[in-house]
This record gives sequence, C-alpha cells and structure tokens, in this order.
Amino acid sequence: MAPMEKLVKQLLFDAINDGLLTLGESGRKAVYFHLQKTFSLEMEEIPEKPEVFAEGLRKIFGVGAEVIEKSIIKSLYQKLGIEYSEKEDFNFLRYWNEAKQKADKSS
Amino acid sequence: MTTVKCEMIDLLTIYKISLFLIVGLALLYGFQSYYPEFISFFSNAFPPLIAGVVVVVSGISLEKYWHRTRERFSIVWLCFTIGLFLWFLGESVWAGYTLILGVDIPYPSIADAFWLLGYIPFFIALLLYVKIFRLALPRKMLIISLATTVVLAILVFIALITPLLGAGEDLTTLIVDFAYPLLDLTLFSVAFLGLLIFVKGGVGKSWLLINAGILANVCGDILFSYTTAQEIYYNGHPLDILFDLGYLFFLLAFYVHTKEL
Repeated sequence: MAPMEKLVKQLLFDAINDGLLTLGESGRKAVYFHLQKTFSLEMEEIPEKPEVFAEGLRKIFGVGAEVIEKSIIKSLYQKLGIEYSEKEDFNFLRYWNEAKQKADKSS
Repeated sequence: MTTVKCEMIDLLTIYKISLFLIVGLALLYGFQSYYPEFISFFSNAFPPLIAGVVVVVSGISLEKYWHRTRERFSIVWLCFTIGLFLWFLGESVWAGYTLILGVDIPYPSIADAFWLLGYIPFFIALLLYVKIFRLALPRKMLIISLATTVVLAILVFIALITPLLGAGEDLTTLIVDFAYPLLDLTLFSVAFLGLLIFVKGGVGKSWLLINAGILANVCGDILFSYTTAQEIYYNGHPLDILFDLGYLFFLLAFYVHTKEL
C-alpha cells in the first residue's frame, strides 16, 4: 500500500473512531465487537467496507445510526479540510464516497 | 454465523422461559382462591427476588458498558442500576414489613421512599440515552410523543381524582397515590422517544421491552392507587402480577441490550 493511500485509510479510520465516540469508549468498543461478531467486519476493514459498516449500524440503532454517521462524516470532513454542509436526505455513503474521492485526488 | 445462531437460540430460550414464567404467574394468581395463604406469601416474597435478579442483570450491563464516570453511556448504565437497586430496596422493605413485622399493607411507608427515589436515576438514564440520539428524531415526532404523554397524564389524573378524593385519605397518601402513575408516565414519555428512534434496530427490542415494563407499572400503579383508596387491595391481589411483569420486562430489556450491542 502506497504511503499516501495508507494515510487516507488512517484518516478514514480515525474519523470512524471519533464518530463512534458519541457513545463513549465503552459504547464504541461494544459496536466494534458487535460488528465483528455479527457481520464479520473487523475494525481495520471498515474504511474499505463502509456499506457493511453503515448497514451494521442501522441494524443496531435503527434511525439512531444517523447521529453516529453524521458525527463520523463531520469528523472526516474536518480531517480532510473540506467544508461540511448538511444536505437534505442525509446519506452516509454518498458523503463518505465524496470525501474519499477528494482525499484520493489530493493524494 | 454459528455464533450468531447460538446467540439467537440463546435469546429464544430466554423468551421461552419468560413466556413460561408469565403463564405460570397468571395461573398462580388466577387460581389463588385455592391457596389464599400461599398467594399472600408469594406476592410479598417474589417481587424482591425478581427485582434482585433485575439488579444483577443491570449490573452485568453496567460492567459491560462501564468506562469512566465522565462518559454519558457509562452514566446511563450506572443510573439504570442505581434506580433498579432502589426499587429492589423498596420491594425488600415492603416484604420485611409484611412477612416479618406482620404489617398487612404498609402503604405509604419507607418502602415508597425507595421506590419514588428510584424514579430519579431511572429517568436520568433514559434521558441521557435518548439525548445521545435526539437529533435522529424529527421535531414533529417529538411533539406528538410529548402531546400523547400529556393527554395520558390528564386522563390518569381525571380517572383517579374522584375515587381518590372521595376516599378521604390523608394528604401524604393522596400525594403518593398520584405520584406513582404520573412518574411512570414521565418515564414513558422518554422511553417512547427511545422506542421511536431505535425501533428498526436490534437495540429497539430492548426499548420495546423497557416501554412494556413501564406500561405494566403505569397500569399496576393506577390500579394499586385505586384499590388501596377503595380498601379492596389485599396481599396477592391479581394486580400484583403487573409489577412482576414490569420487572420481568426490565430484566429482558437489559439482557437483550447486552446481546444486541
């Protein structure tokens, strides 16, 4: 993996980590554990499989997942230096892909 | 996949045991005329037992979700456990009065102080949990939920005011009579919001059970206030099953939560 690619992946992972802190450290650990146990999704795989992650969150929290997703996206945009503006019908994957594309371009 | 299947079976077994317990309790209270002394003993001895089990299950959840005191999610579980522990103390004191001291119906008594105090941490726990996710709730839904609670509170008040005022109870008893159903509805107002937020997720099962537990208490407390005011309540009254159900639903709610998250 190229150093820049690795850096982007780390950024994505850090954003997820920050966003999940909405639940506190114990809540974050519980989510990671549940995703691993139920969806076979390891922590470090999340940046590559955001759709599985988003589905997992929805299956745990229902519409409550939106709050965590927004928190992740805000953190991600901040880390990438992109201005975050809320659009109607928030879609985690759309925001995520948009941010990732920008990060890939700049790398 | 195997683990998931095991967890499912595990939950299914728990649900079956609970259903068995509910049917058993219903039959036990239903045929109480055949064993009036036993049902009187049972109705006083069983609640502290089941409340104690709920405290243990809540304590296990606390152990799982605890990180530090400044974390909201940790405080949520600490408050749930404290609230349930206070209710357990209430049940134990009531059992002590009836089974050891031979007081027929210790109401109001120090047991009520523990029960009423228990509402505070329980309310804080529900509120803190829901507050984490409040942004997922449209304003319209919030208003509908609050309006429903206010209407229910008014209905409870109207339903109880005539029989309670007409019973000529002292002021303390009257306050306690109204306090329970109204505090239950306060819990319900927040718990219902939680249900709306999580209903489509696994955690939603836990919130459904919390709501069921609170509603069982709402009904139980309304009937208890009414029957004690009319002096028709006795130890082993079928309404006691509602309180047992309340604890059972809370027990399941916390157990399911640790399985779903």
